[in-house]
Amino acid sequence: MSVYLEGVLALMGINILMALSVYAILTTDQLSLGNAGFMAIGAYTSAYLTVKSGVPIFPAIIIGAVAASAFGIIIGVPALRLKGMYLVMATLGFAEMVRTFFLNFEPTGGAYGFRGPSGTTLNMIYGWVLVFLVFFWLLGRSRLGRSLDAVQDDEEVARTMGLDVTLLKVGVFCLGAFIAGVAGGLYAHYMFYIESNNFNFLISAMAVLFVILGGKNTFWGAVVGAIIFSVLPETLRFMKDWRLSLYGALLVSMMIFRPSGIITKQMVRAFADQSEKILRRRND
Amino acid sequence: MLEIKNISKAFGGLRALKKVTFQVPEKQVCGLIGPNGAGKTTLFNLITGILPPTEGSIKYLGSELTRLPANEIAKMGIARTFQNIRLFATMTVMENVMVAQNFRAQATITSLVRFSSAREKRFQEEANTLLKKMGLWEKRREQSVSLAYGEQRRLEIARALALEPRLLLLDEPAAGMNEAETEDLLDRIHEIRNMGKTILLIEHDMDVVMGICDYVHVLNFGELIAQGTPSEIQANEAVIEAYLGREEG
Amino acid sequence: MFLQQLINGVMLGSTYSLIAIGYTLVMGLLQLLNIAHGDVFMFGAFLGLSLALLNMPLYLSLIIAMVGAGIISVLIERFCFRPLRKAHFLGPLVSTVAFGILLQNVATQIWGSEPSRFPQTTEVAQFQLGPVLISSIQIIIVVTSLLLMVGIDQFVKRTRIGRAMRATSENPQTAGLLGVDIDRVIVGTFFVSGALAGAAGVLTALVYLQIIPFIGIRQGLIGMVAMVIGGLGNLRGAMIGGLVIGIIEVMNDAYLTAGYRDMIIFGLFFLFLMFRPEGLFGTIERQS
Repeated sequence: MSVYLEGVLALMGINILMALSVYAILTTDQLSLGNAGFMAIGAYTSAYLTVKSGVPIFPAIIIGAVAASAFGIIIGVPALRLKGMYLVMATLGFAEMVRTFFLNFEPTGGAYGFRGPSGTTLNMIYGWVLVFLVFFWLLGRSRLGRSLDAVQDDEEVARTMGLDVTLLKVGVFCLGAFIAGVAGGLYAHYMFYIESNNFNFLISAMAVLFVILGGKNTFWGAVVGAIIFSVLPETLRFMKDWRLSLYGALLVSMMIFRPSGIITKQMVRAFADQSEKILRRRND
Repeated sequence: MLEIKNISKAFGGLRALKKVTFQVPEKQVCGLIGPNGAGKTTLFNLITGILPPTEGSIKYLGSELTRLPANEIAKMGIARTFQNIRLFATMTVMENVMVAQNFRAQATITSLVRFSSAREKRFQEEANTLLKKMGLWEKRREQSVSLAYGEQRRLEIARALALEPRLLLLDEPAAGMNEAETEDLLDRIHEIRNMGKTILLIEHDMDVVMGICDYVHVLNFGELIAQGTPSEIQANEAVIEAYLGREEG
Repeated sequence: MFLQQLINGVMLGSTYSLIAIGYTLVMGLLQLLNIAHGDVFMFGAFLGLSLALLNMPLYLSLIIAMVGAGIISVLIERFCFRPLRKAHFLGPLVSTVAFGILLQNVATQIWGSEPSRFPQTTEVAQFQLGPVLISSIQIIIVVTSLLLMVGIDQFVKRTRIGRAMRATSENPQTAGLLGVDIDRVIVGTFFVSGALAGAAGVLTALVYLQIIPFIGIRQGLIGMVAMVIGGLGNLRGAMIGGLVIGIIEVMNDAYLTAGYRDMIIFGLFFLFLMFRPEGLFGTIERQS
């Protein structure tokens, strides 16, 4: 495989993870425009551990992700009091705080960035992607997944059904932060060098765009959105400079004409039903 | 079973409930009636923990409800339906019912892998039975919002029953129903009472109230103006005035 | 020295106020956040810069930049808000994020991502007022901002259109029934909000003397902070919020290290969102 193709696939995998991290939180109707902050925490923590403390990459990434998820709880709990716009602003503020923190934090390089972390392979990235895909697939079919759907559908009624909405809403923040933390750790150990500007608002925004474009109602949407946005630049070489404008215009149009995104819940359900029928016919 | 004492609720300057006090004994069907805006649904919201009272206490089986979060109250065995049907629109009929089982079925992270345990099968059976009893079995895979109006009301009741409540709060369950459907509803409420459940019922349809309630409480402008058996209430002057007065005004 | 910093803070803060007013006008009217607002500010700055490069006098570039920014803001309303009136609130929000990215990319293609320098079009004179040194640039910025702020304040308070705006933001249905042309009010609000941001852009370019297509992100965010501190939907609150932030920023740079600056500002942002989301002057229903 060419180095070039490998690079594209690696970043695509990381994009998929970032998209899933946004999706996780979105399942409870909470929009986080600050997942780059969680990514940064995962990246810097794991990078510090491998480079300065000699921790092997696998546990380092996990520790980094756990650190990120701790912040997921720290953000998630107060976020319960904030609805809609306020929550979005809070996540924006959080990501900026994290970014400026690492810009000034000397032990991880400050403005000069952090050099050294390495060890990510394509297999590792897609191993994690697979883990989370299986996780979300199981979640969608489980009672917990139904609880989340209920919260998204009508939070108040969900409470009167005995569901602990508080736990669910904070829990998904924790989950989303964990996934973003993994993405950060993988990213750091792939790029060999990270600086705070790698985790700016655009990263958070793009992750959200992946999910919205792909379809915000199923996790497949996040995957498809991330894939499209990762592959598109390569097929649109001639438009390379105007790529971001295209994305922007594309999203604006999508929100007008097909706000549910490319992949809808009905689509996934129909696909699942069809597959079941075919499998059943094969077994007969 | 349910003790409502001096409950008041004010929204800013608007006093929706004023020192309301009454009891709901176990295994009875109690009616809560009154003109529109009397505060009936607000009272339901207070009981189920959706809103906090401005003052007063609500005791259920001896425990104080007023400081508890809504999901705790539901777990204690109080379930409700809503005046303007609030089903989970993105889910099927079956899923709506099953979600109500979740707090009992321990729908935690382990539920991702627990698909065929004996426990899960038991819950599935319960849901099936419930749906069959409410006449919704054939439509179990349909989107909840695609059901006919009367069926949606039945689904809401089924969902509330899936909580295995001891106290069931029904908010205008007969609203918008024709005679046949209302008859059917009365039968079902009888059945639910025979299951040993206590029912508190908000209704405007007098036939339903007379036909099924053991006892009736009447609210007007947030105050309890009368209570008694259905026949007593029908003859009560204050009640008649409340309703007639409203019609004229 | 302290007084000097205070003046610097007021100068910087007044530009933040202008941005914050734009956010708060739209928020008050539609209960929605226009995330592309910061990029409207950026575009205004670049328009002003291009015009200044053509040797246009400052006040003229300011006015034209304001109009241009106002138009862009109206475009945002047209594409991100109007078609999504009935949609879930996430729709317009995400759409403005996308539009913002579009604006940033267009600006990058037109002017490049390297810093662009703002030319000196006016003579910079320095005045000594007691212990304080003030430059004519500072005077221009503060006076212009003040004029705009007083203007918009009086406009909303006294004119019919201003009253229509307030009525619409309090209760759109009633306002509609009373004969207010809601669409016109909304478009007008977006135009004004954009124009103010455009003005802030040009003035900010005068302060920093060089701009990049990504300044909208930080300045936009600061504007949001100012809006929250002042109180969502509250015009005067936005003005005060902006000044407060400007002063904090300058004081921080003078007495602490610049590195802490954004952490303090966003930390304040957080505290307000958590414990006083209605800001200093706003009133909202607390979500229980």
